[in-house]
Amino acid sequence: MANTEKIERDDIQGIVLSGYVHLPKTAYALLTVDAARSADARAWLGRIAGSVTSARKKQEGDSLNVALTYTGLQKLGLDDATLASFPIAFSDGMASQRRAYILTDNELDASSAWSWGGPAHPVDVLLMMFAVTPERLDALIATMLGDAAAHGVTEAVPALHAQLYDDRNEHFGFSDGIAQPVLASARKPNDGVSEGNVVSDGEFVLGYRNEYGFGSDTPDLGPDKSLGKNGTYLVFRQTTQDVAGFWNFVNAAAAHDPAQRETLAAKMVGRWKSGVPLVLAPDADPDPNPDPATAPTDAFGYGGDPKGLACPFGAHARRSNPRDGLLTSTSPAESMQRVARHRLLRRGRSYGPRIADPLVDDGKSGERGLHFICLCADIERQFEFVQQTWINNPVFGQLVGEVDPLVGAQTAGDAVFTVQREPVRRRVLDMKCFVTLRGGAYFFLPSIKALRWLGTPRTNG
Amino acid sequence: MHSIFTFQTKIDPAKVGALTAYLDQIHAQLLTHPELPFPLLTKVHFASLVIVPDDRYGAYLVFENNIDGTVDAYIEQLCDVAPAALHTIYSNCAGYDASGGFDRGRMRTYLRAHVVRPGASFVGNVGRDVARIHAEHALRTEIEQYLDGRSAAGALGTTPAAIYAQVRAHVETMFPWALQPQGRLSAAEMFKRKLAVWELIAFALLTLPLLIPLVLLFIIVLRIHELRDRSEIPPPDSKQMAIVTAREDNILQNHFASMVDVKPGAFRRFTLSLVLFLANRAAAVSVNGTLSNLNNIHFAHWVLIDGGRRMLFLTNYDGSWENYLDDFIDKASVGLTAIWSNTKLRGPLLNFPTTSFLVNGGARDERNFKNIARESQLLSNVWYSAYRDITVPRVDMNSTIRDGLATPPDGPAIGDWLQRL
Repeated sequence: MANTEKIERDDIQGIVLSGYVHLPKTAYALLTVDAARSADARAWLGRIAGSVTSARKKQEGDSLNVALTYTGLQKLGLDDATLASFPIAFSDGMASQRRAYILTDNELDASSAWSWGGPAHPVDVLLMMFAVTPERLDALIATMLGDAAAHGVTEAVPALHAQLYDDRNEHFGFSDGIAQPVLASARKPNDGVSEGNVVSDGEFVLGYRNEYGFGSDTPDLGPDKSLGKNGTYLVFRQTTQDVAGFWNFVNAAAAHDPAQRETLAAKMVGRWKSGVPLVLAPDADPDPNPDPATAPTDAFGYGGDPKGLACPFGAHARRSNPRDGLLTSTSPAESMQRVARHRLLRRGRSYGPRIADPLVDDGKSGERGLHFICLCADIERQFEFVQQTWINNPVFGQLVGEVDPLVGAQTAGDAVFTVQREPVRRRVLDMKCFVTLRGGAYFFLPSIKALRWLGTPRTNG
Repeated sequence: MHSIFTFQTKIDPAKVGALTAYLDQIHAQLLTHPELPFPLLTKVHFASLVIVPDDRYGAYLVFENNIDGTVDAYIEQLCDVAPAALHTIYSNCAGYDASGGFDRGRMRTYLRAHVVRPGASFVGNVGRDVARIHAEHALRTEIEQYLDGRSAAGALGTTPAAIYAQVRAHVETMFPWALQPQGRLSAAEMFKRKLAVWELIAFALLTLPLLIPLVLLFIIVLRIHELRDRSEIPPPDSKQMAIVTAREDNILQNHFASMVDVKPGAFRRFTLSLVLFLANRAAAVSVNGTLSNLNNIHFAHWVLIDGGRRMLFLTNYDGSWENYLDDFIDKASVGLTAIWSNTKLRGPLLNFPTTSFLVNGGARDERNFKNIARESQLLSNVWYSAYRDITVPRVDMNSTIRDGLATPPDGPAIGDWLQRL
């Protein structure tokens, strides 16, 4: 149900419409506000609001975006009625028990052990800084953090760095960030975006029509409660990736055969390393040395693979974006329509050193991973739904007792992954989890007008 | 055959706290409580005990039962398995004579007197009792493990026919019953249910000349009501959310209990009764686990209570609450809206999201619909599922796998059967 009502680019933060691929260097500063210096913090926010990059036009040298947690909004002095107008998932916070239950963030992923976002290192403000060179980035960090500290807004933990690698791959070696939804009103003629990726603006920006045809809910910000519009929610999860652990597991399950190893890993992901989907190339990667500048095709569905013989039902890509193939739907079109209500705009980047040989543990598995960031207008209906109903659902589709083979919360002992085959399926037993959650939070990414308003002096504080 | 019903009793206002505490205790030891050991109630598919707080009608205890067999046989099993629990629970309720401890005859009479049958109900997997659901799931698990073992040993057949023969030979001794065909619903029963729908259609056709003016009149009156209704539903507050989510997402299935007011006036009461009557007939002809293409509902029912002034809805479903509601909106918003548009919550504007012509609008207003659904939700004090990790489609798929053993497929159908594993 795409629509073409125009969005207010001047008022929307740039990261909503751009992944800033022209700015490969990134730093995420996680800050806390000194509650006793609420007025100072507001003054600081009001000042930097003018430097925040909007979605109006590309900024060449660097870009800056700002988001706040619920506690951040509290410390800035928002009154209770305004705070109550935010959705419960956001006010609970990712580290809360209720959200952890929905997200299956248990045991190893428990927020008590997080390096940030949990009770030990709570976070109020997120500054996302992007630059074309490391020098530009360092200069931006120094200016921003110096100014913040002078206003009682200090680092909860040292800033996290990330980057876009030249090959655009994540650490396990797979092309990443494909199948990105595109806002209906942000389309350009002949942009090559497949229809399935065009989603109503209201799914990613508050105040516009969403995929149900209704206006997405906005919090009551500003004097006339209208400044919630053009904001959105941002989900940040830092995960480490045990690359050698993953590849050695796959290697063993593939009887140490290099070709079978590549195939099994691709079956788990749903795409070959190049990003080419399995349903378009079931037997081998047709493009082993892809050009990083050209995105692999994303115009495909699962209708031609009803038995999962090309791409397993439980593969990461088929679970996290089932396209036309939701087994609980009555038709491909209905499936597409339903899936459109659970899409995520992904803006994350990898961090840490590349591994030299994926089969040899270099002792740095704790230092590399993904800063997963996604944007959505409804945390519950989009991000949490995908996690709970698709990724971590042991009975997704017609499967029994298995979760996402790549990022799912595997339960020790009985976790399996089914590869549909002829004449009969093969099950990989004793699946293990090779990604670990190290930190995370739910943020509100305000409109630029809302940032200015949040930064104005308030009579009550 | 299944029976779906509740025992509804008024709670002594002074004893709501005591009853709540006792139910909390049962909840904490759901599978092992010495006085109410649910797994020994072998007829139960799903059961719940819900305290409906006092809202103008006094506090109620709703004891929901979705069971195999008759109500009477179930009451006997309850008295066998959980006499002390029944006695303790109903000692807190009106009309129960607690003097002299548990008395089987008295309990039987009391329970029978408080049976409330649904106005409309739905069963996801018809014709299968609890024992069969467990047995067919165990069969499927055994086959999967057998295949894993053969495969690891390099001893799996290479053709579909060879693998099928291996599997069948393996289960033959372990599960001899699996080789006997067993249907889902008898042809006679299905005929009876379809006949009930055809009766309605025939009735409508025969009375058409009379019916048309009545329908037109109905539509006019309906539109007047709809245009008058306004709706403004704030998000449920944190307190209500904490109450209703406290016992949610505990397993792969969930329970949703809700109580709403029927909008005032005879017209809404009549419309709702009519819709429930029609929904009940339509739901009965579904045999493969789908209600209006929803395939995640095990048992659900609607019932008008308090002289038609309130409607109670109880459902036992697979997956998360968000998914359940999204599914509802996507696939069943017509039926859903036809039922709930006749309802409201306490408060002048707490109407179901506005509708036109009974079935348009309403539930499609996703955010407001979810808000009112949450607002109407009751805490499920105790909720029990006899098969916590078996979904509606899985129950049916397990039966299909068993069908393929009882009636051997041939040719390409053997390959299709293997793909179900």
